[in-house]
Amino acid sequence: MKPAAPLLLLLPALVLVPLAVLLPPLVHGGGWELIGSFALAAVTPSLDPVVLASLLRGVAVTAGMALLGWAGSLVLGLLLGAASSRTVWRTLTGSTLPAELIRRLLALPRAIHELIWGLLLLQLVGLQPAVAVLAIALPFGALVARVLSDLLDALPTAGLEALRAAGAPAPAALLTAMGPALLPGVLSYGGYRLECALRSATLLGVFGLGGLGTDLKLSLQSLEFHELWSGLWLLLAVMLALEGGISLLRRRWLVPGRFVLARRGVGERSREMLLTLAALLPLCVLVGRGLGVDPAALLQWQPLPGLGGGDWAATAALPWPRLVGGTLLLTALAASLAVGLAPLLLVVVAPVGWARQGLRLLWALGRLWPPPLTALPLLFVLEPGVITAALALGFHNLGVLGRLLLESADVADPAAEEALACGGSGPRLALLYGRFSALARPYLAYGAYRADVILRESVVVGLVGATGLGSQLLESLSSFAWDQLLALVAVYALLTLVGEDLSDRARHRWLRAA
Amino acid sequence: MAAGPPTAVLALRGIRVSGRDRPRLEDVDLSLAPGERVALLGASGAGKSTLLAVANGLLAPVAGTVLWEGQAPARSRRGRRRQQARIGTLWQDLRLIEELTVQQNLNAARLARWGWPRALLNLLLPLDTEACAAALRAMDLDPALLEQPVTALSGGQRQRVAMARLLRQEPTLLLADEPLASLDPRLAGELLALLLAQAVAPRALLLSLHRPDLLDGFDRAVGLKDGRVLFDGPVAQVNAALLADLYGGTPPGETP
Repeated sequence: MKPAAPLLLLLPALVLVPLAVLLPPLVHGGGWELIGSFALAAVTPSLDPVVLASLLRGVAVTAGMALLGWAGSLVLGLLLGAASSRTVWRTLTGSTLPAELIRRLLALPRAIHELIWGLLLLQLVGLQPAVAVLAIALPFGALVARVLSDLLDALPTAGLEALRAAGAPAPAALLTAMGPALLPGVLSYGGYRLECALRSATLLGVFGLGGLGTDLKLSLQSLEFHELWSGLWLLLAVMLALEGGISLLRRRWLVPGRFVLARRGVGERSREMLLTLAALLPLCVLVGRGLGVDPAALLQWQPLPGLGGGDWAATAALPWPRLVGGTLLLTALAASLAVGLAPLLLVVVAPVGWARQGLRLLWALGRLWPPPLTALPLLFVLEPGVITAALALGFHNLGVLGRLLLESADVADPAAEEALACGGSGPRLALLYGRFSALARPYLAYGAYRADVILRESVVVGLVGATGLGSQLLESLSSFAWDQLLALVAVYALLTLVGEDLSDRARHRWLRAA
Repeated sequence: MAAGPPTAVLALRGIRVSGRDRPRLEDVDLSLAPGERVALLGASGAGKSTLLAVANGLLAPVAGTVLWEGQAPARSRRGRRRQQARIGTLWQDLRLIEELTVQQNLNAARLARWGWPRALLNLLLPLDTEACAAALRAMDLDPALLEQPVTALSGGQRQRVAMARLLRQEPTLLLADEPLASLDPRLAGELLALLLAQAVAPRALLLSLHRPDLLDGFDRAVGLKDGRVLFDGPVAQVNAALLADLYGGTPPGETP
């Protein structure tokens, strides 16, 4: 009794069953009126020129932080990626040991979410634009490094060896043999990271690091829903323009999409790609000027408040099993919701043509909306806790996964679905059997990767209260309990690394079985 | 049965389908009586595939009427699905679902008649094993193949599974778009014989063919040229001159 591919795709949606049982007791009478005016404000955003001007400044700051953080992560990632590549070390020194070592070390910055980086840096150097930039650049750089070194080490080395045998010096041989083959993969992943950077910059703003996120949070807290929606629609326009531009370049340059986690792609117009990358440099300098980013200020560390001997007994006395359990439950719920709802909703709305566009918009809002900002309106009507946090986190990631599934469904071969519909099966079953069969495995493999991202991300909904490690971490941070913070970050990193390993295995199993 | 001719399984009247520079079909009439086996001949680009797409409801003509078993295309979604369930198409690219087993593929032909519970259960358990095995046997396949994934099959086996799926749908109108194009002559003859044997009243078969040497088992041939019906008559009347006209020179394959 082995479930077939299309059924597997629907299984994660079974999480709706326990949710249907657990959710009703969490509803409190409180804020339905608030939810109503919140929803109504979506169609009546504030058009006040003063508000709009301030929001536009916020969007510009957020976009600028995203761009700089992303550019920094690319530079870091390229350097560290080369430094953790076995092929590079073998070519340069004949030994792959340093590569293994650097690879292990890079796991740590990668495992720590940009929000934790941001909050730690904030304590260290005070509020300045460079904090958000660095908070994005560090973990993203480590992620880019990993993907890059994996890509590099998976490339055939015959060309490289031929160049070396002909007497080319090692660095030149590496660049000539590997560079062109690597470019499409790097650009594809880089484009995806830029989208992530915009979302992260917004999120960091919610936690006070500046830009639109800060405006959004203030509007929400003061119940200025009309202003909130003006900001959200503006951000949506920027995000859709960015995503559209990136997918346009992907198609133009024929680089692989992210969905199949393709190892190699067909790249064209290499010169154009390089020119585009080169044009980014002056742009980044300009943006840096505009934002007032001052790298030198990063070196002026403030004395950390309350840094003394650690109270390790109190740290050990934290309810660790409950914290870890809460975090894992939160991750499992949010991941199942995000992975399961995307195909389920697409199947449900299949007969109605325009409903698909509605889903597209809903998912775009989900992607754009930082999870803590989703959680706040949810708290108008729900009790705080793991489930409320999981809904917020799940909605955000549903936006990411839903878009991927919809985009790959749009380009998948329609023949089998057409044949089924032609034989009289309804549009829902035709979609499920005919089109989702082929997508199931790559989609679930991507879902496994996403679950890993969600685990790392679970810290951002910590402010919903009692969600496990995330809420404890924010609490320890605000009370300057550095010993607790250190232990919490270490446990988080450990969990993330184990999760990363598990999701890697799951992904390889899914893709191999395909 | 009352007196008078039985209702045609498929009746096309004055069909027109527009194309980019010229109509892909122009004023096409075609009628299939129960039990009739009709071969559709014509050079590539003559409109054979377009005609089949009109016949299976995939393509709505800009002018003319389509009647399936005497009924115009239903307006309601449910009614239309019931009509489509009685039209079976053998696709040139087979359109098997690669991720599923042979049995699941055969049962996919029942989706139009099944509700959700059975459709989902089919993805978990082997359903209707006896009926599926019978469909395989009718195509000279070993029922032991039922549990195999379709990716494990040979080219000939895949062709037969697609035909078995067609039977499993229990259609009254069988349509096939050059199903034998990529097969060697011996296998093509064998599979065609199996297909023709299934086309007994109340069923009718319309099959587009690129090889006039395989016409023997058919009752009628319809020749298309430039989107128009050039010939519609008994197979015995198909001769070298007609084929030369249809294919604009030497006919492909051997002359009959």
